[in-house]
Amino acid sequence: MKLDLHATIDGLSFQEKKVLLALQELGGRAGISDLAGHADLDQSTIMRAVLALSEHGLVGVREKKSSKAAILPEGLEYARDGLPERKMLVTLASCGPETVNEVAARANLSEERKHIALVWLKRKGWAEFTKKDEKTVLAMTESGSEALSQKSADEKLLDLLAAQARNVDELPADMKEPLRILVERKLVKVEEETWRELELSELGNQALKLGIKPVEEVSELSHELLTSGRWREIKFRRYDVVAPVTPAHPGKVHPQQQVIDELREILLEMGFVEIKSNMVESEFWNFDALFQAQDHPAREIHDSLSLSKPERTKLPSPALVKRVAAAHERGVAGSTGWGYKFSVDISQRPILCSQTTAATVRYLASHPEPPAKVFCIDRVYRHEKIDYKHLAEFYQAEGIVMDPKLTLRDMLGYLKQIMVKLGFSKIRFRPGYFPYTEPSAEADVYFPEKREWLEVLGAGMFRPELLRPLGVKHPVLAWGIGFSRLAMIRLGIEDIRNLFNNDLEWLRTRRMI
Amino acid sequence: MPSITVSYRDLYKLVGKRIESKQLCERLGMLGIEAEAAGDELKLEITHNRPDLLSPEGVARALKGFLGVETGLPLYKLSASEVTVEVDQSVDAIRPFIAAGVVTNVKLTDEIVASLMQVQEKLHASLCRNRRRGSIGVYDLDTIQPPVHYTTTLPDGIRFVPLEFARELTPAHILREHPKGIEYGSIMQEWPRYPLLIDAQGVVLSMPPIINSESTRVTSTTKRLFIDVTGEDERVANQSLTILMTGLAERGFGLQSVVVKYPSRRVRTPNLRPSRHRLSTRATNEFIGLNLKPKGIANIAKSMRYDVAGIKGEILTLLAPPYRGDLMHEVDLIEDIAIGYGYDRLEPTLPKVVTTGERAPVERLSERARRVLTGLGFMEAMTYTLTNPHTNFELMRVGGEAAEIANPVSEEYTIIRNSLLPCLLSVLQANRRNPLPQRVFEVGDVVVLDDQAETSARGVRRAAAMVIGEEAGFTYIKAVAEALLRELGIVYEVRPVEHSSFLEGRAAEFVSDGRSLGIVGEMHPEVILGFELEHPVAAFELELKR
Repeated sequence: MKLDLHATIDGLSFQEKKVLLALQELGGRAGISDLAGHADLDQSTIMRAVLALSEHGLVGVREKKSSKAAILPEGLEYARDGLPERKMLVTLASCGPETVNEVAARANLSEERKHIALVWLKRKGWAEFTKKDEKTVLAMTESGSEALSQKSADEKLLDLLAAQARNVDELPADMKEPLRILVERKLVKVEEETWRELELSELGNQALKLGIKPVEEVSELSHELLTSGRWREIKFRRYDVVAPVTPAHPGKVHPQQQVIDELREILLEMGFVEIKSNMVESEFWNFDALFQAQDHPAREIHDSLSLSKPERTKLPSPALVKRVAAAHERGVAGSTGWGYKFSVDISQRPILCSQTTAATVRYLASHPEPPAKVFCIDRVYRHEKIDYKHLAEFYQAEGIVMDPKLTLRDMLGYLKQIMVKLGFSKIRFRPGYFPYTEPSAEADVYFPEKREWLEVLGAGMFRPELLRPLGVKHPVLAWGIGFSRLAMIRLGIEDIRNLFNNDLEWLRTRRMI
Repeated sequence: MPSITVSYRDLYKLVGKRIESKQLCERLGMLGIEAEAAGDELKLEITHNRPDLLSPEGVARALKGFLGVETGLPLYKLSASEVTVEVDQSVDAIRPFIAAGVVTNVKLTDEIVASLMQVQEKLHASLCRNRRRGSIGVYDLDTIQPPVHYTTTLPDGIRFVPLEFARELTPAHILREHPKGIEYGSIMQEWPRYPLLIDAQGVVLSMPPIINSESTRVTSTTKRLFIDVTGEDERVANQSLTILMTGLAERGFGLQSVVVKYPSRRVRTPNLRPSRHRLSTRATNEFIGLNLKPKGIANIAKSMRYDVAGIKGEILTLLAPPYRGDLMHEVDLIEDIAIGYGYDRLEPTLPKVVTTGERAPVERLSERARRVLTGLGFMEAMTYTLTNPHTNFELMRVGGEAAEIANPVSEEYTIIRNSLLPCLLSVLQANRRNPLPQRVFEVGDVVVLDDQAETSARGVRRAAAMVIGEEAGFTYIKAVAEALLRELGIVYEVRPVEHSSFLEGRAAEFVSDGRSLGIVGEMHPEVILGFELEHPVAAFELELKR
């Protein structure tokens, strides 16, 4: 108990200690304003100190309610210049019975004040009103002349309140009625007031007995304190170090970009070289060079976004176009081909890149010799209405490996390594289908939480009909990651649109991956 | 990818071996068919290259081999029917080819009818390219008087009752009123005459590729089917017919051929002869990474429903079933061998292909830009490059040209952005309820039209940053922009510039080697208010790499 009290005293601030001592000096009981005078602290500082002291149980706070009468501006004016009826009475005394207008004019009263004066002359019985020649004539009454020599009760109260607001309870009993009248005349207002009185508690007294010395406290260390050496003399206010603080928010890389960066890092570690795709691509590179027939369903209007501006793209060397066209029409390297008439016109149409394979195939065309390991993480575009499952533009991650002796099993090896590096331990492979790979495979990863397999990767070995026209003579493994799905898993989001969520509250509160 | 639903019970009955549903789905997966079971219903995803798997009969046929119930080439007995199809010259200009066949001893259950309708629909959508390349008709042969004439008619040259209708319509009316006419009429838009199948008595069988007649409808009591596929591609017509008829053969029905008499030639359809392919053991092993013997390959091939006509050294001659129209090259056979071997049995191997990883230079720059801007307390936003002229130009008080989408999905996304600033303003607009100040940036691509470029457009990587709130002043944002330029090691000059998106006298241009890198300034009040913002905004946008 003692120890606790020592700790409590130690934890008190300079101001809190001062208030406690002042309270002791004032006999252990005082109001806030009294303390303010005594401790030389402002009221709000005292209030804060009192709050802390009462939380520690060192002081008790009692609240008293009282009504206070205070003068209003109009009342103050009358207290200075006299009530309108008083002005009228004084004028009447000097001029004798006269018409109302004449008296008011001589008393220098406005129309409004004239009315007030007349009402109260009548109510107070200071004047008589008689009709004469269609005009109202005023004449002083007996109580009027008595009133001339002596201020009435309401006037006395007005004077009293003009000097200082008074507690209603402290007013003499005969002032109750004048107060009511003045309030009715809106010259005075009565307000409820709460009055706090402090009292030292038992604990407070014990604390004072243990001795309390207010030492000047400083909340922050400053340059001045440091260089003057004054920091030795003062005490640093103890902080409530457990109390919550306003959060600080770092600038951050976007969550989806974080996943892209993570994947890029993994691929770089595996020795892949990064390449970029063209946002605006020709159908030649996006489809033809991938051995996708010109009437392939993926080339239909509902699948990719074609462009009306620019209107045309340039084709690569005529020899390459011819070789690709031949592969489509009649096949190459022992293939039958698609057996249709290839259109160079279609090849030149611009579209928004719909598969990053366009970039890897461009790379192969310019780097036909092994070894090659490249990857591309870029946006692709599809003819989709945006909803919780679909985006019209999204990221694809894709890569190729070219080497003379590569096999389907090697391809599975690469896929497995990528998946393991991404943190998936349980992987299975299934046959798959892509128009430009054969054999093809799909890779599923297992989610223990959901107890299900999810498809995250597709892969295959590029068809000879794709490779031969580009001048590539070695096997090429190609893989593509369903990046959106991967990112959604990695970020724990269900709605695909959140991959492009830019709500600052969301971005601030998400932990970095 | 097309998907079909089949009954689990029907499927294992067709296979002739009971196999538990979960295990069946797993086996189907290893065959390249993604399967999902819900009670008796199986939903199967069929890949584009295997239209022969679009029916439960086709799937069962493949499964039988894969599970070892029945291997090698499926045998089809094809006898000649009495039916001939006479092709009129007039079809030549519009839909020149027809293939037809007869199916006998038919016992139709609701399940079989449903599956027949499903395979028709799925073939129409995939292999037949929404009926453009080919379209299928199935009729009750006993309602038809052969020979069948494949001819044409004028849009109002004939009247018949189309399927699902109670009254006679002309072809022109069918295109306007019948749901199928409305759906597929565009195929016939340019045709002066419409194709018509009609029998010896003048009874209309169908108006390909739109609709059959009600009078030749297949019912549960139908004993014999007449099937036709008309189209602009003879390969597709033959392949579709083969897939349909060999599928029905799995039900134990009989198959008969039909003679198609063109003005200048005669063909007998369907052609159910297997195709011959050469497969090298060496190539197979090299491709898959195995060490199989020719005999081993032969056994696997049989499980994939091939027959082996002969083995000479390391070369196998394979006979492929007639419904396999997808075999273009040896690699297609090799994939089948890999599937037959089992992807689940293929042990992954990791070869050493020694290369050095390397970031794309533009990504290296972008990462550095992100580091600088996040370090300065800016939050990265990622926005769509798809936008619209209102946001990209009008709200920014600028004009200009951008890459335009020919087939936009919505009015919101009709062009590709040529600036990041409107995107960041939209981000601030969406964050109006969040406290100020807000600092956001984006490192992303814009597209600039360029006649000189190969695709007549160039993607340009830019970095833009924007601040809203009381501190959104020129001095602050310029300091941020200069910090970025400095850290990227770019030597630049600053020049005053007037730009209608920015306040007059409050915008500057960064110039390097005489070329503008970008702009910095306080946004114009009209721009700010246009994005429904009510506080000062300052921003910059810089080119990281052309």
